[in-house]
Amino acid sequence: MNTQDKLLIPLHVSYIQSLGNSKDDLAYHLTAHLRMNAIYWGLTAMCIMGHKNALDREEMIEYVMSCWDEEAGGFGAHPDHDAHILSTLSAIQILVTQDALDRLDVDRVVGCDAFGEIDTRFLYIAANALSLLGRLDAINTDRAVSYIRQCRNFDGGYGAVAGAESHAAQVFVCVAALAILDRLDEVDTEMLCWWLAERQLPSGGLNGRPEKLPDVCYSFWVLSALSILNKISWIDGEKLIGFILSAQDPETGGIADRQGDMVDVFHTHFGVAGLSLLGYPGLVDLDPVYCMPASIIEAKGLRKGWKALPRQPAAE
Amino acid sequence: MHNVKRVPHSQEAIQARKERERSRIVEYLALTNNVLSRKKTHDWSRDAFDQTQQLLELNPEFYTIWNYRRNIILNGIFPQSTPEENNDLLANELSMTMAALREHPKVYWIWNHRRWCLENVPDGPVVDGTPSLQWRKANWQRELAVVEKMLDADARNFLAWNYRRYVLASMPEQRPVMTELAYTTRKISASFSNFSAWHQRSKVYSSLWNTGELDPIGSREKEFDLVHNALFTDPDDQSAWIYHRWLIGSGENEEQLRQEIAIIEELLGEQPDSKWCMDSLVYYCRLLLKNHVPDSEDIKQKCHDLLQLLERIDAPRKMRYQEIGQGM
Repeated sequence: MNTQDKLLIPLHVSYIQSLGNSKDDLAYHLTAHLRMNAIYWGLTAMCIMGHKNALDREEMIEYVMSCWDEEAGGFGAHPDHDAHILSTLSAIQILVTQDALDRLDVDRVVGCDAFGEIDTRFLYIAANALSLLGRLDAINTDRAVSYIRQCRNFDGGYGAVAGAESHAAQVFVCVAALAILDRLDEVDTEMLCWWLAERQLPSGGLNGRPEKLPDVCYSFWVLSALSILNKISWIDGEKLIGFILSAQDPETGGIADRQGDMVDVFHTHFGVAGLSLLGYPGLVDLDPVYCMPASIIEAKGLRKGWKALPRQPAAE
Repeated sequence: MHNVKRVPHSQEAIQARKERERSRIVEYLALTNNVLSRKKTHDWSRDAFDQTQQLLELNPEFYTIWNYRRNIILNGIFPQSTPEENNDLLANELSMTMAALREHPKVYWIWNHRRWCLENVPDGPVVDGTPSLQWRKANWQRELAVVEKMLDADARNFLAWNYRRYVLASMPEQRPVMTELAYTTRKISASFSNFSAWHQRSKVYSSLWNTGELDPIGSREKEFDLVHNALFTDPDDQSAWIYHRWLIGSGENEEQLRQEIAIIEELLGEQPDSKWCMDSLVYYCRLLLKNHVPDSEDIKQKCHDLLQLLERIDAPRKMRYQEIGQGM
């Protein structure tokens, strides 16, 4: 067993740095359709660990701009891949984090069709991206809110589409979208936070739906919603910290879905994000609505009334 | 990556794997570049179509290639084919994606491609001089069997459940809603902890009550029997407790509320440490206070006592119990 009691920051930094140097790995090429998201995950995790400069800024911005799809007015996941709303949000988040939004023709992005497929994830993405671009006015708030309302279930949670089962990741996108649209009055806070608090299992980890296994990524989906609704205290933060730390790979760095599994940048990012919201010492504050460094969102005047746990003092 | 065990590899083993992968990477990248450059020149040929299949078999998550494949079908193949040929082609797409789905049951793009295929199936041949819906009906019917197979393999796959609701809503020949109720009964009997099936059941009942197909009062009574059976079988399983809350709803029926409180108290007598019994009792007693007996000191006291116990036996959530107690 290799239960750690500390976040292995230097190892995670070098793990994320090494991701771009795996071109002799077949898996690297088979995941090109996730590259833009992966860069956003890696960059955000670096920022939260206080190592933003460990990734080359110019190279990153150049890569992002090379994924611009002129025909569609959005970003693909990789050069020559079709533009998609998932990679477009990641691209905008990277440019905002790197303070390089001036490279982008904002009017072109706002005009692109954001509602091809229906899913509450896409609604959140549109709200997040447009508010980062200062163009939230392009969203019809009443229509968006009424769709989210249709996706609400009796347990207070939300599904991907109307009729779908509540799922912690969909709860995050709906609650965060409502926060961006200043419509948190839509949420049945007591019911939803009861359902969210019951996601914590005896191991300290969180699952995404009743009677499922715990997984580090839910540390973020569940915690962010609790934090936006100011109810993080309804679960045991210390036990969750222990669960996230136990999923680290103490040899090569990175965080997995749970102890003993293969690590990836997705779980590394969401593990670090969860730890930040839990007040883990030495980390930078994360904004749970945008899942970006809090200071950047604050500087743009977009901070909502969420509450994380207070930052713990560093141990000697 | 989910559920993939970490196995320690020596440097030699890693090098050997990379050695083995080298030629596959070269082939994969060559195929990718070839297909992407054909896409750029709007190549809608059969040859390009076949190449997209090759590439998607290697990587079913390559959404750009699914898009390209659909564009080839729309711009290159459909305009030159008869409706019958189009139907055959889409049937072929559906069986090809079935193989991919078995291996990758949670890849959104594969499910999306099936949706697109189904929505583009032509109606059917002309039979005795009148147009028929033969092809569409057959394909949607088959699709329901496919999604059932997927739910047999993983009864909690939420993409499959969402897809099931989509198929049921889109079938050209609608099935009676009662059939779906029977399906959820089967799923729940196979496993009481299948909350996805309980959830589906709540939606099916709502629809049956709304259309007047079922009497909300009588059917609810019967439904409580099923839930009690699940609660008494495994009082630690969340699924039936959450569903029970749905069944009670806003608690306007005082008799029912009191009856359910009595039954849960009976279960608590058998299982004195059951957190779900206590938490549910607090919730239902608060509904009783809110809707029927706002001044009952006895019930308030009962809630406070239970909340104190809960703080002890369910410490991770103690702040929640404290807040509820303070709010009363």
